[in-house]
Amino acid sequence: MLLEPIVPAVLSVRRIPAADPAVLAAYGADPARHVSLGLVTCDQDDALYVALDEATKHAPVDVVFARSFYAGSAHASGRLSGEILGVIAAADPQAIEDGLAALISCLAHDACFYDADGKRGVTVFPHVISSLGHYLSREAGLAPGEPMAYLVAPPMEATLGFDAALKAADVRVVKLTPPPTETNFACAWLTGVAPGDLAACAAAASAFAAAVVDVAARPQAR
Amino acid sequence: MSATRDLMCALRARLGASDPAPPRVPMPVVPAPPARVYASRREPLRGDAEAARHTTALLGIGHVGTRYATDVVLQFQAELAVAHEAVAAELPDGWAGDHGFVPLVSRVASHREFLLRPDLGRRLAPDSLQRLRDRAERGKDVQIILADGLSATACMGSGPALYEALAAACQRRGLSVGTAVCARFARVWLEDEIGQEVGAKVAVILLGERPGLGTGDGLSAYLVHGPQVGKTDGDRNMMSNIHARGTPPVEAADRLAALARAMIEQGTSGVALDLARVAAEIERGYRAPQVRQRLVERDRKEP
Repeated sequence: MLLEPIVPAVLSVRRIPAADPAVLAAYGADPARHVSLGLVTCDQDDALYVALDEATKHAPVDVVFARSFYAGSAHASGRLSGEILGVIAAADPQAIEDGLAALISCLAHDACFYDADGKRGVTVFPHVISSLGHYLSREAGLAPGEPMAYLVAPPMEATLGFDAALKAADVRVVKLTPPPTETNFACAWLTGVAPGDLAACAAAASAFAAAVVDVAARPQAR
Repeated sequence: MSATRDLMCALRARLGASDPAPPRVPMPVVPAPPARVYASRREPLRGDAEAARHTTALLGIGHVGTRYATDVVLQFQAELAVAHEAVAAELPDGWAGDHGFVPLVSRVASHREFLLRPDLGRRLAPDSLQRLRDRAERGKDVQIILADGLSATACMGSGPALYEALAAACQRRGLSVGTAVCARFARVWLEDEIGQEVGAKVAVILLGERPGLGTGDGLSAYLVHGPQVGKTDGDRNMMSNIHARGTPPVEAADRLAALARAMIEQGTSGVALDLARVAAEIERGYRAPQVRQRLVERDRKEP
């Protein structure tokens, strides 16, 4: 079904209440501040990046590690690998628990890819973050609380989509990653030219999704 | 609840999709946290009521769950508020004149500066110095200075009474007393400059003391022999907690006058002063411990 949400599958969720300092350090945590870890694998990397950021808005957790796996979930190394491992770290296990609850709720109800051709042969991630947490805000170099359009699609569709999005609304590029990425998609982060312009981000995401649907339907159009 | 899903729903309709959108997954119902009622543990332990009678420290207050009982917390907050209010209070303009004192001001310009710059509170402003020279009698035995210090509330409360009592007690002992002055924004060491200026043998400053919990009305008295700028705390004798629940002003005045006289007789003060020779006059007998003022009602009967 066209533009049907494809709800991400959470493949594994585990906690380490008191992680070994060497593990903490290897995964980017600070053994002086962090004790507990929460680990998640998921079959949609971009949905999990958004959900990890959501967790930082609900609990005193830091996203210390989040990496996509090569070639995506269709070529995973195991049935639990999916296409991303995300790690949150905190000073105590309860913060991890609260962060994971927010993260899983975000994956179930908010962040997801959408079917762009009705056959799930092309998927699109036209996500609008109304208020950045401190993970993605740091990655993007924006202030926490700013809105951001998080746009992902396969190479051809994404390229035309980015162009359409930037022309459709008063937005600017925060970061644009052309293909290939680890999962061979392309990604762009856009925000309003005017700070806090959520409507511009939403208009950009909508135009992006429409362009991806159009490319998927008419790949040879002139 | 998801802005993006609403957006894609609208886009679907715009693109002319006819099949109905998939139903929303309902959000889970979050159960309200259980109401936890803790039993009060206020059964008296053996001896804690007895121990509490000898101190104003918080002994034998019990607990409710892992926390203090509400009335204990409220009492603490009320006492802290009394202390904050006393520190924030300022001596009004004209108060000194209205009560028969020569008004003096230190070099401090504002209350905030008074709190931040103790050094400025130790010296007189030039116009105050001139006023002191014009109006104060010189060469007396004892120069008494009333001052706000860190509690203008205390100064305005029992300050005049303590001043009168002390002046009377000094005169009873045959000591002459200088002109009554009242200093605003004053620190203890201001007595050095005032005493030096009027050429008094002993300077006594009575000032509001830094408030403790629930005692915003306490006065302290600092005495120094041969006051002059540059005297240190080693040259001073002091008495604190002069208020109704501590040392009452009348009793304090008598002991302060005895100290002043001893200083003049021995020609020194501070650590050099031999207190053993005046022990009979300044030593206090048994005093019942202070009773904590209850600022809030207890929410249950005393155990």
